Amino acid sequence: MVPPGSLNQLYLLMKNLILFLLSAFILQACTKDLEIPSADFILGGGVLVLNEGNFNSGNGSLSFFSYDSMKISNDLYYSVNSKPLGDVPNSMIIKEDKAYIVVNNSGKIEVLDQSTLEHRSTISGLISPRYMAIVGSNKAYVTSLYSDSVAIINLLSNSVSGYINIRRTSESIVVCNNKAYVANWVGGHEIMVIDGLVDKVVDSISVGMEPESMVLDRYQALWVLCNGGWARENYAELDRISTITNTVAKQYKFSTLEASPTSLCIDGFGQTLYYLENGVRQMDINAEKIPASILIPESGSPYYKLAINPVNSDIFVTDPVDYVQDGYLLYHKNDGTFVAKFRAGVIPGSMCFRLRF
Amino acid sequence: MISQKDTIRIGEVIIQRSKYSSDLPGYKTERLDSSILESYSQLSIAEVLEENLNISVRSYGMGGTATATFRGTAAGHTKVEWNGIDLGNPMLGQSDLSLITTGMTDGITVYYGSASMPLVNGGIGGAINLTTGPDWEQRSKISVSTGTGSFGHYSGLLKFIKSTRTFQSSTKVFTQTSENDFRYLDDYTGPEPVWQTRTHNQVNHKSLIQEFYLKGPGSVTSARIWYQLTDRNLPSSLLTQQPGSDEKQYDEALRSMISYHFTGDRSDYLITGAWVRNRLNYTNRLASVHSRNLSDASTVKMNWFGTISGSSRLGFTIEDDLDIIHTNNYRSAARRNKMSMTALLDSKFSPSVSSVILIREIMDRDRFLVPDFSTALELKLLPSRDYFIKASISKNSKLPGMNDLYWYPGGNPDLKNEYSFNYEMSYSMKENITPILGLSYELTGYRNNIRDMIQWLPGEFSYWTADNIGKVNSYGLETSLSLRYVIGSISTELKSGYALTRAENKVNDQGEEFMAGKQLIYIPVNKANVALKLTYDNLFATWTSCFTGKRYITSDNSRYLPEYFINNFYGGIRYRRKNISVLTELGVDNIFNVYYQTIAYYPLPGRFCTLKILLQIVKKQ
Repeated sequence: MVPPGSLNQLYLLMKNLILFLLSAFILQACTKDLEIPSADFILGGGVLVLNEGNFNSGNGSLSFFSYDSMKISNDLYYSVNSKPLGDVPNSMIIKEDKAYIVVNNSGKIEVLDQSTLEHRSTISGLISPRYMAIVGSNKAYVTSLYSDSVAIINLLSNSVSGYINIRRTSESIVVCNNKAYVANWVGGHEIMVIDGLVDKVVDSISVGMEPESMVLDRYQALWVLCNGGWARENYAELDRISTITNTVAKQYKFSTLEASPTSLCIDGFGQTLYYLENGVRQMDINAEKIPASILIPESGSPYYKLAINPVNSDIFVTDPVDYVQDGYLLYHKNDGTFVAKFRAGVIPGSMCFRLRF
Repeated sequence: MISQKDTIRIGEVIIQRSKYSSDLPGYKTERLDSSILESYSQLSIAEVLEENLNISVRSYGMGGTATATFRGTAAGHTKVEWNGIDLGNPMLGQSDLSLITTGMTDGITVYYGSASMPLVNGGIGGAINLTTGPDWEQRSKISVSTGTGSFGHYSGLLKFIKSTRTFQSSTKVFTQTSENDFRYLDDYTGPEPVWQTRTHNQVNHKSLIQEFYLKGPGSVTSARIWYQLTDRNLPSSLLTQQPGSDEKQYDEALRSMISYHFTGDRSDYLITGAWVRNRLNYTNRLASVHSRNLSDASTVKMNWFGTISGSSRLGFTIEDDLDIIHTNNYRSAARRNKMSMTALLDSKFSPSVSSVILIREIMDRDRFLVPDFSTALELKLLPSRDYFIKASISKNSKLPGMNDLYWYPGGNPDLKNEYSFNYEMSYSMKENITPILGLSYELTGYRNNIRDMIQWLPGEFSYWTADNIGKVNSYGLETSLSLRYVIGSISTELKSGYALTRAENKVNDQGEEFMAGKQLIYIPVNKANVALKLTYDNLFATWTSCFTGKRYITSDNSRYLPEYFINNFYGGIRYRRKNISVLTELGVDNIFNVYYQTIAYYPLPGRFCTLKILLQIVKKQ
């Protein structure tokens, strides 16, 4: 019992006040401030990796794997420019001294100095942009996941100069002999052909269900990988298209409905195709059928994106782990020999080579 | 004839429902007092909780979706109830607090951790119970308030009570429209930071509650209906500025409830039947998303509480819930029936020792779950004074939401329930130091281990699926101090609180270790609030300060939202003459114009002002 009296009352009040302040102070003092990793940006040859981040979370980022140091530097765009890159950076191309990063859910393209990665300009006002391809000295096309038009970009003013209505959404894009081949991916089965000189659709080619990725081989034949659609109601297929006649020259059907190949790539010679299906698969352009064997089997979670070094055919794949935490960049030699594994950002996706010759 | 004495006794029971939940020994609960509710009457309960309690609220901006989390748990682990009936959308398994206006309730009680178990299933983090009830002391009451504020904000609240000695009708109507076109600093999209105006952010909200109460000998029968409609444009993230998305959300809810509450000498019981219909339509024109969702949730709940000896009470609760969902996001209509039986023993061993033991069995979709339990102990340290030590241990289960089970693609009908083990201990005291000075203090420590947490992960065919793989441990301390000083016509009240919360991922069932030990995203380690209220005659003023520490926005804790410190002021004058009172209140929120976000890249408003005028006419019985 606290006896009555003002001193004791004051004592009780002060005791509890001190207890409160002390507990708040101690609790605060117990918290350890976590360090933010600093970026270690290294110039030189290597692979730029776009980490998509989570949809609507704005945690997309840019990483760089350096051949010189055999290290990866993460979150470079933020480190160099003190701004987040945006929501879901999807693809990247390099033209001369500039790098263009297509940021899908931010509806923009960030233009950077390709050596320093310093921000130069922003091309905005795009509807769900996905991929970009250069079609002339100062012109590029940008595909769109949601709109029925391909945007025309003026690379001198870094602005949208017009649109080409293709009446369907678009995904991957490949340019050959002033013609742009645009894949209608989600729910589609066509390749639209745009004349890059007049910016008009001049042809269309019917292919398998959901053409996801495309490459050109050494003979200027267009290879289209159709993943069959997510509902697995159609067989995936790999189609070879003549860019002279704009017709399908050869079809390779996958044997099961469960096969869902993605990320078609080709080596620098235009001779060997690579794609992902339960790992990395390799196929010569003259092969009679799709490969049964896996060059690099998956190690744990499914691989997400693939890239082939155009000079030495080194193989890089990304592993997003659980799509929430930071994923991995995996480096293999051309024969599939594992070299190293590096921690990248959240959902490491498209890759772009910046090489010194 | 009903005596005056009986009338008062029953009224208190109905309003506070103390026998069923909030006053059980050993648990931590908190009631928001009526003066706070009045100041926030035309704002959503998200604001009142964020600024007055140590609860973390995440908001997509003024009028945007807002959810509350307790003690480092997820939004789905917070249950929001209306007189003990779940208000959460059964599809999402959580509640949008921005849709509930504070003035539509008569009271808000917050249940921390295990304290939610006597009230509701699944409140792993805690529960918020919104109460509405009769006031038998009033013969009639009409209260009309109108408010206006910055950013095109207009609102009006009407409350009308008409009562006889045995019957009462209570009506509440609220309407609000807001442009929410506040200015914010955009330092993301351009080369230099620029001030922008938030657009496509309009909210229109209407709400009506009609309640009837019929009092009999020892009993009250009630019928309640609550309709609300919210139509809002959804602004995009600062990083998502695509033309033509035109995102909209339309929420409509119709809630009805009938109950019969009998209070006897040695036992009382409450029978409640409720039906809640939620309609949620979401449109994104750019992405061609037209999501149509309709849910019907029916609940029958029976509580019985009886005295089995002089100092012990035994309670039983049986609850049956049926959820039926019609949506274009499932393969077909889905339904789920869940039933729970709860037994509770509230014992008082001596004047200073009391305890609660609770056991609950849940049957979900014809499967019995491992039983939940809770045990709480309360020691009164001094015989005639309010010094307490409280401790509790519990296991609490949360069933998967209907989207987790049936969303197409990716829903997993084989999901198990999430469960947690909660350990909690607290010291509290309340003392009138002098006749004019009162003090109360509380310090609580807790640990919460959540297992089989549901996470959506990429599956075999390129779409995400739900699975029970998450493991989260959260622990922390909460402390609060209140001082009340009254001398003559001057009243001063200081309330303060601080919470330390660590919530960490553990190595999950897929063996991923990278995130282990990292603080969960959007959970502030430090949160504190202070409210100082001064009253002098008819004048009143309240200053609130709320500090929220930095919150990580990436799982590896490499990025975070900076801490923010928000100060608000409410002040006014109340004029009373006989049965009439008129109140004029001016509010300034975010006085120092702090730029902050609670969800990354969704800006919140800087300084804004509100003006409220309230006219109230009361006639006592």
